[in-house]
Amino acid sequence: MNAVVFYMIALFIAVSAVLSVTVRDIFHGAVALTMTLLGIAFLYFYLDAGFLGVIQILVYVGGIMALFVFAIMLTSKMGDHKIPQVNAQFWPGLLIAAVLCAVLLKIVVDSSWMHAQASAVITDLQTIGRSLVTGYVLPFEFISLLLLAALVGAIVIGKVRR
Amino acid sequence: MIPLGHIVMLSMFLFCVGVYGILTQRHAIRFLISVELILNAANINLVAFNKYWGTPDGLGQVFALFVIAVAAAASVVGLILVIAVYRLRKSVFIDDFNLLKW
Amino acid sequence: MVKLAHWIPVFPFIAFWLNLAFGRRLGRGSAYIAVAASLMSAALSVIVFLGLRHGAVAYDLAPWVTINGVPVTVGIMVDSLAVMMLLVVTVVGSMIQIYSIGYMGGDVRFSRYFAYISLFMASMLGLVLADNLLMLYIFWEGVGVCSCLLVAFWYEKPSAAAAGVKAFVTTRVGDTGLLIGILILLATGHSLRFADFGGFSGSEMLMAVAALLIFLGAMGKSAQFPLHVWLPDAMEGPTSVSALIHAATMVAAGVYLVARSYVLFTDHPLALQTVAVIGAISAVMAASIACTANDIKKVLAYSTISQLGLMMLALGAGGYAAGTFHLMTHAFFKALLFLGAGSVIHAVHTQDIRQMGGLIHKMRITAITFIVGALALAGVMPLAGFWSKDEIFMALWQNGNPVLFGAAVLTSFLTAFYMARVIFMIFLGVPRAETHAHESPAVMTGPLVVLALFATGLGFIGSPFCQGAFQQFITGHEEGVHLNAGMIIFSTLISLAGIGLAYLGVMRGVKCPGDDCPRRQWLIRVVENKYYIDELYQFLFIQPFNRLCAALTRFDRDRIDGAVNAVAVLTAALARFGRRLQTGRVENYLLMQVAGLLILLLFILGKLCHIF
Repeated sequence: MNAVVFYMIALFIAVSAVLSVTVRDIFHGAVALTMTLLGIAFLYFYLDAGFLGVIQILVYVGGIMALFVFAIMLTSKMGDHKIPQVNAQFWPGLLIAAVLCAVLLKIVVDSSWMHAQASAVITDLQTIGRSLVTGYVLPFEFISLLLLAALVGAIVIGKVRR
Repeated sequence: MIPLGHIVMLSMFLFCVGVYGILTQRHAIRFLISVELILNAANINLVAFNKYWGTPDGLGQVFALFVIAVAAAASVVGLILVIAVYRLRKSVFIDDFNLLKW
Repeated sequence: MVKLAHWIPVFPFIAFWLNLAFGRRLGRGSAYIAVAASLMSAALSVIVFLGLRHGAVAYDLAPWVTINGVPVTVGIMVDSLAVMMLLVVTVVGSMIQIYSIGYMGGDVRFSRYFAYISLFMASMLGLVLADNLLMLYIFWEGVGVCSCLLVAFWYEKPSAAAAGVKAFVTTRVGDTGLLIGILILLATGHSLRFADFGGFSGSEMLMAVAALLIFLGAMGKSAQFPLHVWLPDAMEGPTSVSALIHAATMVAAGVYLVARSYVLFTDHPLALQTVAVIGAISAVMAASIACTANDIKKVLAYSTISQLGLMMLALGAGGYAAGTFHLMTHAFFKALLFLGAGSVIHAVHTQDIRQMGGLIHKMRITAITFIVGALALAGVMPLAGFWSKDEIFMALWQNGNPVLFGAAVLTSFLTAFYMARVIFMIFLGVPRAETHAHESPAVMTGPLVVLALFATGLGFIGSPFCQGAFQQFITGHEEGVHLNAGMIIFSTLISLAGIGLAYLGVMRGVKCPGDDCPRRQWLIRVVENKYYIDELYQFLFIQPFNRLCAALTRFDRDRIDGAVNAVAVLTAALARFGRRLQTGRVENYLLMQVAGLLILLLFILGKLCHIF
């Protein structure tokens, strides 16, 4: 039962990920990406990481995807289907991605943890919260600084110069 | 439960799809979409290993959280760059620009 | 009192730094600083002289190094020889610096000149006071550098710059010998202190070689055959420099060195013999060249070589007192002659004696002092040169070698001849060219008069009338000098013969019978061309060296530069392909990046599967 749920989620993620980089229309691609991220959020729930799943939906699906849609609307001419979407190195790129996939697959299959089973440990929200403000408080602060820097940078770059 | 290797295979596949997107797509926003795929592939690994091998302090999940934050910052800056370049050059296709040449 | 001696070189050294640092600001003041410094040194030298009386005082200032078990200290040695040199250097140096105020006035590098002169004074005084060979060697190089700088003082003239290089390189040959000599002494574990010289153990041959190498250094500095070629060229420098460095003091350093390490030579007859023979050759050869030279400064330069040869000859023949006595008197009258020549050149703006004449009517002080100096050099009774030359004759007579004695006599005769010739051509007779000659200012004639007084009276301290006070002082023996009427008459006759011959030749225009004989023409041409020694060096050393350099240049250009260019061409060819990688497109770079990652992963995979 559990396994069937996982494989369904995995299939959903994989298909929508492939769609997001292959569909002609960039707007459709963005929608497919939203599906992928949603699937990954489900995967987090499945892996007993409920907090992360919520964050995934909040930040990615709610926040970043809205940005993507705005950016697409601000830049591209919708419905222009004549422009090719892939560049000159499509075949080498595809080949390299495929070979990379095969090599990584081989490495995963050969690995010692291929058949490892889940431990009984469940990380609850309290633990994560305590970790964030005790042991990992320094990276936490750095992240907030980084977000501030990104905010300022985005405003500076995006400002229309007259 | 399903074995760890299967989850890692999923994330590996996502990573390769992202790489394919980066290497072949012309559209700058599709480029950013591919980057998001790669980052999420990494996140899946973090969460999965935390679940299977992790310690009670939840290091993997904390790091996944950080990655999400960094990814958000990265995509904000990336998108605003795309908009700025579009304003200047009226194009969002990466192979229209070779500013790095020589 | 005597232990103040180490302050003597300090004054000119301070003057050097002051002039170097503030020369531009000081203007003419730099001359006064230099003169004041050397006058203070002179005063201190007199104090040291009065405090010494007899014997030697040596004291250490600081420990220095220990080489091969031989401790070398920074030490001062004041004995009669050093005191004599101190007095000569400071008095003559002060006179020449006062003279230079007039002679160099208006030169663009006025303060630079006095800076160099002060540095020279400091080095020379340090050389005199050094109590060991290593310290002496350092100051020895110091005076060499100053000589080079001052010879090439007017470096805008290519010939002056070349002369500076020649002076430096030629003396360097001798200096290398001196250095090797010092190293031999060190290697055999002998002390370098002059006070410890004598009775050195070890291989007889090796010690003789060390002495000869030290003499090689002296040869270079004192311009002895065959290293004499630099001195005539050094006349490109200002005349006052020629007077100070290339007549009175620095070239005397070679003689001083031989006198300093005299025990090394007396221990080995071969070394002593070599000194005598080299001195004799230099004396006769240079005197003969001086007879044919027409440049007033060249005449004096060859005269200097000749007189230094005479000193070496005297030292080599065992006449220690005679050689050092002549060293002292020569310093005064040769400085006087050079300064007088400078005054003449200043007035007529030429150095060619054939274009002068009758100047005694226009430049009375210069003429009289110059004639005094010339007669002193020619050895006319009772001037200074007469007494010192008399001493040399006596020493050679007692030595008993007829060839060496003959060489000295011949040199004396030639000296009288060429000095008389110069006097007749410059000051007597009628002017040969249109000149507006005038007497030099008092700042120049004053030193001339002082030096002329020395040239007149200084000889008496070594004459029988004072019971040979100088000889007693310098050797420390109580025996006096006896009046030898025969030798006095003989040497006076020699001098008068030379002067008379010059009178006949220059004033009366008498020609020798057979003057046009081709065989004699050949001889004259050889002498006029300075025995072709410069040409010989050109052929033996300079041309082969130039050919070697040309070959090396070709090798450098064709092979080494070729290799470098080949690398460059190869790089450019590679880059023509390599630049295609730099498309400037992000996706291309990313493709390469991922391909690189893939290769890395494949490699790791291969390792894991034990393929490699």
